[in-house]
Amino acid sequence: MIPLAHFMLVSAILFCIGLYAVLAKKNAIMILIGIEFMLNAAILNFVAFSKHDKIALGGQVFALFAIVLAAATVAVTLAIILNVYKYYRTIDPTKIDQLRD
Amino acid sequence: METLTQGNLSLLAALTALLPLITFLGITLIPGKQGRGAYFSIFNISVSLLLSAFLFFKIWNRNIVHEQLSWFTIGGTEFTAGILLNNLSVLMLVLVSLISLLVHIYSTMYMLGDPYLHRYWAYLGLFCFAMLGLVIIDNLLIVYMFWELVGFSSYLLIGFWFTKEAATQASKKAFIVNRLGDLGFLTGIMIVFSTFRTLDINLLFGEEGLVAQTVGSGIAPGAWLTIAGLAFFLAATAKSAQFPLHTWLPDAMEGPTSVSSLIHAATMVAAGVFLLARIYPIFDPTVLVVIASIGAFTAFMAATIALTQNDIKRILAFSTISQLGFMMIAMGVGAYGAGIFHLVTHAFFKCLLFLAAGAVIHEMAHFRAKTEADFDHQDIRNMGGLRKAMPLTFITMILASLALSGIPFTSGFLSKDAILIQSFEWADSQGGWVKLIPYSALLTSLLTAFYIFRLIFKTFFGEFRLKGQFSDKVIIHEAPAAMKYVMVVLAVFCLFLGFSFHPLSYEGSWILQGLPQQAIKHASVFDYHTFIPVIVNVLAILMIALAYKWYVKSKQAPDLSSNPVFLFLNRQWFFDDIYQRLFVNGTTKLASRAFLFDKKVVDGLVNLIANIGIVLSKISDWLDRYVVDGLIHAVASMAKTIGNFARNFQTGRLQHYLLTMVLVVLCFFIIKLFFPAI
Amino acid sequence: MSLLSLLIFLPLAAGLLILVLPYAWQQRYKYVALAAVGIQVIMSAFIYLNFDGNAFSGIDAKSKYQLVEQVSWINLQLGRLGSLQIDYFLGIDGLSMPFLVLSSVVMFIAVLSSWEIKTNLKGYFALLMLLNTAIMGVFCALDFFLFYIFYELMLLPLYFLIGMWGGARREYAAIKFFLYTLFGSVFMLLVIIGLYFSVQDPITGNHTFNMLHMMNPDNYIPGSIFSALAEQQIFGIPARLLGFIVLFIAFAIKVPIVPLHTWLPDAHVEAPTPVSIILAGILLKIGGYGILRICMSIFPDAAIDSAWWLGLIGVVSIIYGALNALAQNDLKRMIAYSSVSHMGFVLLGIASITAEGISGAMLQMISHGFLSTMLFFLVGVIYNRVHSRYIHDFRGLALIMPKYTTFIMIAFFASLGLPGFSAFIAEAFSLIGAFTSESVNGLLPRWMAICGSIGILLSAAYLLWTLQRMFFGKTRLMGGEDWKSKLTDVNGREIFVLTSLTVFALLLGILPSLAFDKMNASVLELIRLVNLK
Repeated sequence: MIPLAHFMLVSAILFCIGLYAVLAKKNAIMILIGIEFMLNAAILNFVAFSKHDKIALGGQVFALFAIVLAAATVAVTLAIILNVYKYYRTIDPTKIDQLRD
Repeated sequence: METLTQGNLSLLAALTALLPLITFLGITLIPGKQGRGAYFSIFNISVSLLLSAFLFFKIWNRNIVHEQLSWFTIGGTEFTAGILLNNLSVLMLVLVSLISLLVHIYSTMYMLGDPYLHRYWAYLGLFCFAMLGLVIIDNLLIVYMFWELVGFSSYLLIGFWFTKEAATQASKKAFIVNRLGDLGFLTGIMIVFSTFRTLDINLLFGEEGLVAQTVGSGIAPGAWLTIAGLAFFLAATAKSAQFPLHTWLPDAMEGPTSVSSLIHAATMVAAGVFLLARIYPIFDPTVLVVIASIGAFTAFMAATIALTQNDIKRILAFSTISQLGFMMIAMGVGAYGAGIFHLVTHAFFKCLLFLAAGAVIHEMAHFRAKTEADFDHQDIRNMGGLRKAMPLTFITMILASLALSGIPFTSGFLSKDAILIQSFEWADSQGGWVKLIPYSALLTSLLTAFYIFRLIFKTFFGEFRLKGQFSDKVIIHEAPAAMKYVMVVLAVFCLFLGFSFHPLSYEGSWILQGLPQQAIKHASVFDYHTFIPVIVNVLAILMIALAYKWYVKSKQAPDLSSNPVFLFLNRQWFFDDIYQRLFVNGTTKLASRAFLFDKKVVDGLVNLIANIGIVLSKISDWLDRYVVDGLIHAVASMAKTIGNFARNFQTGRLQHYLLTMVLVVLCFFIIKLFFPAI
Repeated sequence: MSLLSLLIFLPLAAGLLILVLPYAWQQRYKYVALAAVGIQVIMSAFIYLNFDGNAFSGIDAKSKYQLVEQVSWINLQLGRLGSLQIDYFLGIDGLSMPFLVLSSVVMFIAVLSSWEIKTNLKGYFALLMLLNTAIMGVFCALDFFLFYIFYELMLLPLYFLIGMWGGARREYAAIKFFLYTLFGSVFMLLVIIGLYFSVQDPITGNHTFNMLHMMNPDNYIPGSIFSALAEQQIFGIPARLLGFIVLFIAFAIKVPIVPLHTWLPDAHVEAPTPVSIILAGILLKIGGYGILRICMSIFPDAAIDSAWWLGLIGVVSIIYGALNALAQNDLKRMIAYSSVSHMGFVLLGIASITAEGISGAMLQMISHGFLSTMLFFLVGVIYNRVHSRYIHDFRGLALIMPKYTTFIMIAFFASLGLPGFSAFIAEAFSLIGAFTSESVNGLLPRWMAICGSIGILLSAAYLLWTLQRMFFGKTRLMGGEDWKSKLTDVNGREIFVLTSLTVFALLLGILPSLAFDKMNASVLELIRLVNLK
């Protein structure tokens, strides 16, 4: 039996990697991948915690729901990235700083 | 004649005084050609003379006429203006108008051809008005007004030839010196008013007047009354040219000679003596001694100066000062009547002397104009031998000189003896140093005889000194008719008959009988009434003889011109120089100092305050700019810095925002972890 | 509108009319002004003739004022402080009525002498009319606040009149004049406020600016700052004395007294002739009037305490002013200093607190009003022709300008106190008053009067010296033949002005009752009030 702490450790590592990718990468696709990492870290936690909900298996249901949701967000995000690229001719987020003014 | 009430008489008196004013106003206000007004003014002054003669006969030795009108009211005091006619005023009225008329007539010829003649008549009119008004008015304040008006019109007359520098200087000097006297008058008025609350002469100085009561009882502030007496006397010294305010009179000779004669004879200088007579009761014994000694000193001083002068008018001017000194002695010794008596007789013979001198000057000026020579036509050293050319002038002038010297059978003998004898009697009753006064008067009268005959001999005897120098012919004739007859009339008045039927005794004179007498009847060791006239006359005749010997016989008087005493006298005891240096220069220097003070200190202080204000404002400007404003700027720049700093956070980059969010959440967790209570 | 309001605001209306008239009519502005002032002269003559000097003695009782107008003007409820009540309160008595006549005549002459002004006529006449309004207002106002408004209102037009139409150093003179006067009046405002809080209206119980209430000791609130009974002190000085001193200084600057006089020569010399005339003819009198109407009446106790000092200042001004006049080369400056000297008599007369002294001072103010007007007008005549006023530049003017010389002799002799002219009676009675003071109320020692009379002597010295230097002797002018042709004798307008002024001076000199009868009762009333303490 793998103790819960290990799941959580892996999940935390995954989340941190994702976070790092989101904050540091200069490519929107890589940031999207980072977001997926963080999402999956959360899903992993859901699955791991579902061990304590043997009757309803709420964690696993939520994990499935989140996976579906992640797929939807990826589709939307990729569309945004495509549009960004069309408008700015780049997908480097550091170059897109029109929010400043 | 009962219809002539008091009111009518005073109206007549007012008219007498106003007629010359009408002359003045008529000539000045009605435009016309230059030189107009001679007949108008002569007519007016003759009417004045007739009126005053009438008044004289109505009032002399009869009742006093006193009429008043309310003038104005200040506080509770009503000031009245009125006319007070007594023996003294009517006598003066006649004297002034008579002499004025004669001078008017004389002037028609003397001033002939002057381009500003109309002004001359106008000024004469104003002068006569002032003098006539002075003698009839009853209120001290108005007396003072006329008193100054006399000074003003004399200013105009002395400076009549206003393009002549010396004339304008002299007129200014006359006015300012008289002003000094006026201050005395004003002080006197102030004292009298604050003591008695009235300025009515009759009320104050009448027989039972306030002053008489006070001086007798000794209740009132005696010291102040003495000061008042001195103050009034100061006024009189200025007008009557007494030491120390006599210096204006010789300078006043710059005016036309006819004017000099009027000023010297009956009007201006007489005003001082008249004033003393009018307010006589105010003088207490102390003041009287002062008056007598000043009079004696002035008489002596002026006579010594007259000895050494060469200008014919100046000699006469100093003679006037000297004779006025005699009148002052008379006033001082209580011989009030004798003083006025001498005033009257002196008026005639001095007027005559001046007019005769004027005739001589007139002719000399003509001579100078014809020969186009350059010499001083008033210098007696340039004259001589004129008795042949101008016999009438000569005779009348001799008569006047005899009267001036006090030789018997002349009017001057009577009045001068009256003064001398009474002063001796007074001195006997006083004792002490005042005994010098009569002796000095005696000495002065001897000097008088000498200097006046020096003038006569130099002018009329010997040979004409300029003969052959400019022209061989002596083209000098007798004066024109108008001038001649005036001199004759005046000459008649130099004789004793006009004043007394007894040629040798002054007591019989009608003038003295009409005026108050000296109070002292001293039983003296000597019989002055016999001795004095004899001594005076013998000595006087000796002096005349000496003058004759020096100036006619030997034609060579002892040369004294290097003698320091001579110089001292010739320069008029240096009074002018001392005054010039002490007072005139002193005042101008003080004035310029005051102005310097005003400019440097007072205004300097103001400017200093202003400058301090400017410096302060500069400082506060600096403070404002650098401290107060600096603080504001500091706050502003701090806000700016903070803003700039905060601005850095807004990069527009999503990742930065995200990082921030993460950090914030992390912080939140950390805080929550360590401080669970929050 | 009653007579006094009409008198005050008529020139203001004329000034507004001038402002709206088109520039093309520039040359007619002066006639508008002249008409307004002419009507004022007629009105003031009417007031003079109908003034009953005995019944309307004025001073501290409203019923004894003539032509009274009292309208509530500002009425503010200030809650706990009570209500602020300022009245539009006008009236005249024997002290102020003569000044109305004087002011209107002097203004008339000032307008007549404004013919010389050539630039910016619209502004000039508008300001002149504003000044006129303020002057009339000062003499009529009986509410202290109203008085102060008019008093300050005078400053503004004068500042511009000197500063814009003046001579070479006009800015300096204008600023100096302005600051001097402002210095006085600012502190005056403090005293006014102090008085306001000390006095209450006996009927309404409100604080009041009414001068007549201020004169009555009963109206003072017990314990208030200026209450006589409370004997409050400020900086160790009794408050009432301090109040008196402050008010006195404010007015004394106007008079002016030595040593607060140095604005006067500068302002006079730099100001254009009409403004000099107004300054000397009216402005100086406001000082004297203020001392009588306000200082003496409101602070009688302090007035008596400081009479000795007032007299001393008067004597010093007389002699010091005369000495300074003697040292001047500029004719206008000389006359300015002679004003200082002549106004010294006013102060001396006032300080005596005797009927003779105060009447003499009043007459001296009126007489000096006419005579200084005449003198400045005469200086203006000669300055207009050749633009020089230096005594040394002229000599023997009598030969080329005989009529002018006649007038200047009249003016000079009148102002040196020749009998027959008003100044004589005025100065004589100022001095007599000062002299009698010792025996009547013991305020002034006698030497003051005697020292003051030296001023008469000095005035003769400087005036005659000037006369001799400028007018007598052979003609010699700085500008040679050019000047000789420019120095034409006086023309008709000038003769009219000078003759009328001569007539005024002569009338008052020969018949002083014309003035004394109108003010005698007021003077007595004032003395009674002062002696009441």
